[in-house]
Amino acid sequence: MIYIIDHKDSFTHNIVHQFSKYHSNIECENYNKIDYKKLNKADVIVLSAGPGSPKDYPISSKIYNKFKRKKKIIGICLGFQQILFNENGTIIKQNKIYHGFQSAIKVTSKKSLFKKNKIFKVGRYHSLKLQEPFVAKNFEITMRCKISNVAMAIENQIDKIYGFQFHPESFLTENGNALIKKILSA
Amino acid sequence: MKKNHYLEKLYNSKKPFIVYKVKDGYDIYTDFSEKIFLNNSNISSFLNRIEKIKNKKQFLNLYIGFFGYEILCNLNNVKIPKQKSLNFPKSIFYKPETKVQIRKNITIKSSHKNYNKLFNKKIFNPNKILSPFKINIDINKYKNIFNRFSKKIQEGNTYQIKICTKYRNKSLIDPVNFFWKLMKTNAAPESFMIRDKNFSIVSCSPETLIERKGQKIITKPIAGTLKKTKKTNMRKAISFFKNNIKETKEHNMIVDMERNDLSKICIPGTVKLSKTKYVEEYKHLYHYVTKIEGFIKKKINIKDIIVAMMPGGSVIGCPKISTLNLLNLQEKDSRNIFTGSFGFIKFNGDMRFNIIIRSILNFKNTSEISVASGVVVDSTAIHEFKENYIKAKSLIDLYR
Repeated sequence: MIYIIDHKDSFTHNIVHQFSKYHSNIECENYNKIDYKKLNKADVIVLSAGPGSPKDYPISSKIYNKFKRKKKIIGICLGFQQILFNENGTIIKQNKIYHGFQSAIKVTSKKSLFKKNKIFKVGRYHSLKLQEPFVAKNFEITMRCKISNVAMAIENQIDKIYGFQFHPESFLTENGNALIKKILSA
Repeated sequence: MKKNHYLEKLYNSKKPFIVYKVKDGYDIYTDFSEKIFLNNSNISSFLNRIEKIKNKKQFLNLYIGFFGYEILCNLNNVKIPKQKSLNFPKSIFYKPETKVQIRKNITIKSSHKNYNKLFNKKIFNPNKILSPFKINIDINKYKNIFNRFSKKIQEGNTYQIKICTKYRNKSLIDPVNFFWKLMKTNAAPESFMIRDKNFSIVSCSPETLIERKGQKIITKPIAGTLKKTKKTNMRKAISFFKNNIKETKEHNMIVDMERNDLSKICIPGTVKLSKTKYVEEYKHLYHYVTKIEGFIKKKINIKDIIVAMMPGGSVIGCPKISTLNLLNLQEKDSRNIFTGSFGFIKFNGDMRFNIIIRSILNFKNTSEISVASGVVVDSTAIHEFKENYIKAKSLIDLYR
């Protein structure tokens, strides 16, 4: 089962529909109403996008730290930042803000599940970003904005933790489905 | 408008009635056998009751009316702090017994045999303007609010937020006169009028929020406005929207949000953009529109649909719930009907609802026209303040 934690966002059900293409059993509940019985049974935990910054969601941080290495964890936008925040990364405001913006990103690492140097268009909704340099054991920044170089994806193949700063479920993201399919089967 | 004896009598009576624009004309509903005031404690049972009506095929099998903004917030568990308010009803639904279809010809259907005689005379009420229009938030106040919300965007608490401003005057209006005058120049697809004993609403809303037939549901969010000038035309409007990054981003955001709201109630994989980013032309402006559709899951009921879709996201901002909370802390005046929804629910569950914008509410001798435009990361206070005026203009012009 895939358990999606909805951080009070207005895009989370697009994620539910996208994941439904590759998995028949998906549960999605609001951050305020997490069902721990279901969460314990899940194989995959998804931390959704949402308003604010990772420090506003202490329960999600607890869940991340509790289930890290035990379950596959996928973070999207705020969820991506949530993972980084708990790996001692710093999340800061960016000068140029991207809301509803389609931009090109590039696979920048050989260690990625995706082919190095591949470029594709994605939908972005974020005010905040990862401050670099960022170093954490087994974590690799694998995709970056083609223009600004801002971190767009992290992968931790050993612990099965994946995160995207952009929105794979947005209609602005060209191959979001393929992306999710690959992450789920990894 | 063709002269019709029945309609003349209706317009000159005291009888409450509703006009709703349809694709090729207008439908008029009257002879209301029920008028239900909805509040937080009876709204769920009202919606469930419709679901349970056994005789789905009875004559005029629908309730028609509106949900105000506040009751829709409350349905989403969003509370509104105390505001200045006219104490206008939160939501009213009517059960009509007579329907007049105005197409090429006029046809009347009624469950009353003597429908033609059910009138009482009213005293003729001409339009009277008792004070000029005043705006509740001037440009300086607007700039302050704008800057506060821009900061919230920088911090990631909202991505887009719509500030509501109101134009008010003291006036008595004849809504029938106003409505048909408005329809001559601005027959927007979701226009409607309600004339009741102690209030009236005149609207040229362009925006369809819900069109449900069977399991199919459609929504058509509008995000993006361009003022008409002598130099603009359809081709230029299309190229303006396509090349304007700010309008495009604002629109994209609303499309993803409406996909999300449909996805709450639709079968996975069925939510699709059926017509992406096209332009509709109106009297004073152009709008940027996308049509999104899906198929509703079997277990979903009428209330689930209302809660998932309302209040319509394009007039609130994004993400919806956190933005509603920010808005409600800011706005000192009740939105009343503004950004609520007007429409009907049939006994078989089919429904049609708009978003109540571009509307006059006349109540207690006060006319109120509300408008909103969006703060996004690269909008400016002056531009949005002016956009508000363009949106209100065709309604304010009616008072001339």
